[in-house]
Amino acid sequence: MKLLEKNNLIDVLKYWAGKYCVLTPSKKEQGDCIFETFDEMTFTLDYGKPSMPQKSSLLPQSEVTFEIDNGTYKETLQANDTLLFGIRACDLMGIRQTHNFMMRDNEDKYFTSKMDKCISVVMACKGPQNKTCFCTTTNSGPFAEKGFDLQFYDMGDTFIVETGSNKGEELILGKYFKDVDELKARGKIDAFKKKAQENIPIVDEVKKAMTILADGTADENVWEYLGKKCIACGSCVFVCPTCTCFNVYDLVVEKETGQRIRAWDACLYGGFTKEASGHNPRPTQASRVKRRYEHKLLYYNKDDIQEAICGCVGCGRCTDFCPVNIGTLEVVKFIVNGEIPYTFASDRGGQI
Amino acid sequence: MAGLAATFGSGAMTNSIGEFEDADLFLVIGSNTTAQHPLIGTRIINAKEKGAKIILIDPREIQLASFADLYLRHNIGSDVAVLNGLMNIIIEEGIYDKEFVKSKTEGFDELKKVVSRYTPRVVEKISGIDAQDLRKAALMYATTDKAMLVYAMGITQHATGTDNVKSCANLAMLTGHVGRASTGVNPLRGQNNVQGACDMGALPNVFSGYQKVTDEAVRNKFEQAWGVDKLSDKVGLTIIDMMEGAEKGDVKALYIMGENPIMSDPDSHHVEISLSNLEFIVVQDIFLSESARFADVVLPAASFAEKTGTYTNTERRVQLAHKAIDPPGKARPDWEILCKLSTISGYPMDYKSTADILKEINSLTPSYAGITYERLKKGQCIQWPCPDEKHPGTRYLHKDKFSKGIGTFIPCEFKPVSEPPDEEYNFLLTTGRVYYQYHTGTMSRRVNILEREAPRPYVEINPEDAKKLGIRANDMVEVVSRRGSIRLKAEITQRVPRRVVFATFHFNEAPVNVLTNPVYDPISKIPEYKGCAVKIRRLT
Repeated sequence: MKLLEKNNLIDVLKYWAGKYCVLTPSKKEQGDCIFETFDEMTFTLDYGKPSMPQKSSLLPQSEVTFEIDNGTYKETLQANDTLLFGIRACDLMGIRQTHNFMMRDNEDKYFTSKMDKCISVVMACKGPQNKTCFCTTTNSGPFAEKGFDLQFYDMGDTFIVETGSNKGEELILGKYFKDVDELKARGKIDAFKKKAQENIPIVDEVKKAMTILADGTADENVWEYLGKKCIACGSCVFVCPTCTCFNVYDLVVEKETGQRIRAWDACLYGGFTKEASGHNPRPTQASRVKRRYEHKLLYYNKDDIQEAICGCVGCGRCTDFCPVNIGTLEVVKFIVNGEIPYTFASDRGGQI
Repeated sequence: MAGLAATFGSGAMTNSIGEFEDADLFLVIGSNTTAQHPLIGTRIINAKEKGAKIILIDPREIQLASFADLYLRHNIGSDVAVLNGLMNIIIEEGIYDKEFVKSKTEGFDELKKVVSRYTPRVVEKISGIDAQDLRKAALMYATTDKAMLVYAMGITQHATGTDNVKSCANLAMLTGHVGRASTGVNPLRGQNNVQGACDMGALPNVFSGYQKVTDEAVRNKFEQAWGVDKLSDKVGLTIIDMMEGAEKGDVKALYIMGENPIMSDPDSHHVEISLSNLEFIVVQDIFLSESARFADVVLPAASFAEKTGTYTNTERRVQLAHKAIDPPGKARPDWEILCKLSTISGYPMDYKSTADILKEINSLTPSYAGITYERLKKGQCIQWPCPDEKHPGTRYLHKDKFSKGIGTFIPCEFKPVSEPPDEEYNFLLTTGRVYYQYHTGTMSRRVNILEREAPRPYVEINPEDAKKLGIRANDMVEVVSRRGSIRLKAEITQRVPRRVVFATFHFNEAPVNVLTNPVYDPISKIPEYKGCAVKIRRLT
């Protein structure tokens, strides 16, 4: 446990930036925050819940997996020493769940090679970043219990810095990190955690919905309703810390020269499950919406879940970004209440 | 846009996208909103959740039909009859906005005379809409306070497109649904910057801000600003005029920018003849389009991500977009290419940036006068008209009075599609777009996932028709019109009514505009993409 004066944070980040590719929250001209290479001018601590989780550092939106040059194949594994500064506990849980998934069965080298070189510095949350936060329900925040290298607790003028790994120990050898009374600091952190947890209300419907789904007693009309509304934009998938589906395609430059690329994909697109024959095992948007939320709340692999309770880490981004209000928070309420606002004319109207 | 300019005095969406959430009723006609303007469609759906009602009038049973409180499936091209029918009922019932009509409009008596002939029974015969349903729709629309009328290319892409638009405007004026928040006549434009292109004078008859080339004072202003002696006072040519001119040999050269007429104009074979007849063609585009095959010179342009500048969207909102990456190779932003070309041709254009150009727009275009680069750079997104830098922009038009002063009812008579089905060509073909592809596919067909979702052309056929013709799902069929034929797979679906088939213009494997009828609205010169006679057979 160490103490860092807030005034010294920039110098610390500068020092780290000499050794790693440091990604930090950055405030853009029009107020939006993204994670990008540390830049003193745009760096901010006032970033709340960044609109995107940091999964793209490990699973880029698109990535060349190998190149074909005049008929010869070359694997293109790319991994830099990366330090993620300021990620939220929910997003770290997303990365940990994804890591386990990528290690199982056949190891996904493209992901794990980046993961091996990635250092996580978590910024514990004082409370909900907005009204859709529900990490206390899913056991994935507001602070990390495991899996971090360092965790920062904001105490006003100072940070208390908790170490979670050997890599983390090495990071805090510099002169800026002061020793603290271990017991006193622990007390302060415990108080911080208690208050943070109390600040984020539990959403009972999440666990209730999980039970209903496990019992197989959810009302099918709910999925029909949500399927009719869904516009298949894929936003929920792209902003989800645990969504990892990708598509693989070839970019042909000329004969025997080109690239094989993988890019984010979404199970909400019809073509994602469509078979070569034209048959689609998930033929309707309702079946696709159902599958996505069942995956998060019911089917997630037990090993992948870690200390959380399901494949949803409670960040609430799907609710934040869905243009037609189909996020986890809405879906669980529909499942539990079994009520939909209106019914549709029988069989009328098609898919998008 | 000509229709709205004639009735209201301003050819643009009257209200704003944000106002959709607070509307009490939507009358959607000729717009597949959830598929083609999904972020507006979602606002309609969200408003429905808050209790808003939806009336959908469309020949195709689109996704929005399942949300509609009332879905009226009318025959293709019967829009004027349907709208007149609604007005007939509203006047007969005495539920029109008498105060509004009296104080803010002119020509009511003429309107009343024309629509009196469109009784529910007459309209039922023309449109196929049940007289009782039409009545319900009329009562719902007229008696709801905040009712938005929404339309798109389903209204405009007819030989009677301008009449269709005028009839929409008539209906909104009759019921006083103009000049307030969450009401109005709302044409949803088909491209992200088509409003901006029109605003900037990319039309044959106007300078920027719809200032007429025939107006001497306007010409003097531009002559002074540009330091030239005399600007032409003659109205230029529309696309169709150019194509006809090319065929006759009157037009010698064509400079095509970001447009793909071989795929997008009706009767492609004819377009091909016109283009082949030209002496010189320049095509400026981000990819080598089908039309670029005809070009003598191809100028590579920068894509949206490779340039800085503004777009004006469907709700008249001007937004600044910043360059994210450098253009590849020799590609340059369109404005840079034009400046260089002009300079080489003897008129030096030395704008340093798009900010420079916007400054000129501010000084010469009253509706854009206050939309300055400085304001946009601060993150403001301003809706025109915005006459000065203090002005916040205009959320909805015609607030206290119409742009032209008094709104004018321009009653229209129903005219059927130019080429109705007959014994040989016994189907009506209507065309449009699908969710996953865009226009002639020049851009979207290069995107892997979009290609996976919508990889090939389909023609939608009603199950009963398919049964009669012995066509099953995914069978290859031939669709033939008097102008040509295409081959594509069949999709058997209730989305289309009997005797109607639907196909899109995205796919060069089966370019649907080989079939379409080159007849045009006499005023706007928009082609009749939404209806022509075809026949279909299964290929074995």
